[in-house]
Formats: sequence, C-alpha cells, structure tokens
Amino acid sequence: MRVLLVDDSALSRMMIRSLLSDKFPDCEIVEVGTGDEALALPASPPFDLITIDINMPGMDSFEAAKLLHEKYPASKMAVITANIQNSIRKKIQSLGIMFIAVIEKPVTEERMEKIIEAL
Amino acid sequence: MNNTVLTEMQKDALTEIFNIGMGRAAHSLSQMANDEITLTVPSLALASRKEACIVLSKTAGGRVCSVTQQLKGDFTADAILIFPEASSLSIVRLMVGDSYPGNLTEMEEEALTEIGNIILNACFGTLINMLGGEYHISLPTSKLGSCDDILELENKGADEIVMLLYIDFVLKHRTIYGHVAILLEGDSMPNFVKKIQEFLGTYN
Repeated sequence: MRVLLVDDSALSRMMIRSLLSDKFPDCEIVEVGTGDEALALPASPPFDLITIDINMPGMDSFEAAKLLHEKYPASKMAVITANIQNSIRKKIQSLGIMFIAVIEKPVTEERMEKIIEAL
Repeated sequence: MNNTVLTEMQKDALTEIFNIGMGRAAHSLSQMANDEITLTVPSLALASRKEACIVLSKTAGGRVCSVTQQLKGDFTADAILIFPEASSLSIVRLMVGDSYPGNLTEMEEEALTEIGNIILNACFGTLINMLGGEYHISLPTSKLGSCDDILELENKGADEIVMLLYIDFVLKHRTIYGHVAILLEGDSMPNFVKKIQEFLGTYN
C-alpha cells in the first residue's frame, strides 16, 4: 500500500505514520507539509490513500484536496483535522469528493480504524 | 527572541497540541455564535515578559479584556484569552443572545469568564489529555487593563524570560477578534519540555 500524508505538523504525520505502520508494516508512506508540495509529486505511481489536513500554510487546503483528487482520481482520500467546526465540515462536503472519513485530531487508534475499515 | 531551548520537533508538537485545543474551542464557540471562527497558525516564542506584552498588544490594542486560568501540576502554565476592550459588549451579546433584554454591561464579567472557561479549558484539556499527568486548573478570572497589567509586568519583572504560545482568532460576522496565549515562566520550562519529550518518545 502507498500512502500520502499531507499535514504541516510533523507531530501529526508521525502519529499517523505510527498507527498506519502498526497495521500495515509494509506500507510505503510519503510525507509532505503543504498542498503545494503534494501537488508537485509525480502522478505515478498513484497512492492508495491520501490523508489531508485543513488549515495548512501555503495553498488553501480545500483547493489542494480538489486538485489532488483530480491528479489521483483512484486514490481514497481522508481528512484529518483539528478544525471540526460545522462550517468546515460543510465546506468539505461541498467539494464533491467522496472522502472515506473526516476525522478529528489527535489521531488515535480508534479514529484511524475508521479510515482503515474504509480502505 | 529565540527558541534555542526547544528542538524543531518539540516546537512542532507544542504548536500542534495547541492547534488541536483551539480547534475544539473554535468548534464550541462557532456553535454558540452560529458563526465561523477563523484561526491563524499558532506561533511560539521565547521572549521577555515585556516582549510578550508587545506581541499580544499589537493587534488587541491598548486596553484589553482578559480571562486567565492557571494549570498546576508537573509544570505551571497560564492560559490567557485577550480581547480588545471595544469587543467586550459584542462578546456579552454573543453569550447572552441578541434578544437579551437586560443591561449588557451588568453581564460583562460573567460572560467573559464563561467564554474564557470554554476556550481555555479546551486548550488545557487537550494539553493534559495528550501529555498525561495530574493537574489542577484554577477558576477563570477576568481583568481589564493594558497587556502590561494582564501579564503583571510590574510584579513579575519585564525582563523575565517566558515561553509564549499564541494564536489569533476572528469571528467572521461579528467582527470579534482576540488572542489565546499560553505562558510558561522560566522555572516551569524544563519540566514542560520533559513532558513534551516523553510524549514524543511514545511514537519513536
């Protein structure tokens, strides 16, 4: 499995990486800190899973999610965010992307399970 | 200002924990206000108490309202919510509802304390849940004055080095803005850094 983690926090990436590696020891994880860095990655090979944070420096995260979905249409995408306001959830829904999960930070084993079950 | 006492990873961990706490606070606040809360990326600095005052008064202005709660345990930290004085009645209106028929000024202290309670407890709660340990959180106290008064510049010394972690937030449609800051005094820093390092160690 190939996973892309898009999050400006090294701590959050470390937590997600740790939980994913426990479940999938052979998975290949690519980490980036901004939407711009994610979009600069090659289109191939594609990712099986992309997790994206909302509220990152640089490119607007909603725009980044949309562009990443266009670039990797077969990838499953999940939002992992500290900003859990209803208005943010509505914006996420309005993107027209079928996210497999929208989960609240901090990432825990239980929350990560929602993503893993949907893979 | 310098941040030499913390590694990049420790700084990242601190700002992310604060970010998560403020995310929760913003969720509660947005439900109460029926408005979206815009948050900036948190900033972290080691600064003298005087420099911290300058940072916090930059956007809040001269006279500010504040609510402070203190966390005591493995380390001691103050969480401070700061609004410009001019916003205070808007905050009362937010808390009591637009149709409240009474005198808003009479409700000021209670409303500020309650909003502080919601926001500051979300920050401290997240910090405690993630770092672990036994802590006591004091009751919120509100104060009106300059940032110098709020940070007790006169009593505690302008040159004392403190760790300042802060975030700005804006309620989009109510033109309310403010800061939330966590301030640690010098004595508490080694224990605080130790807790952060222990937390990071669980992922290595």
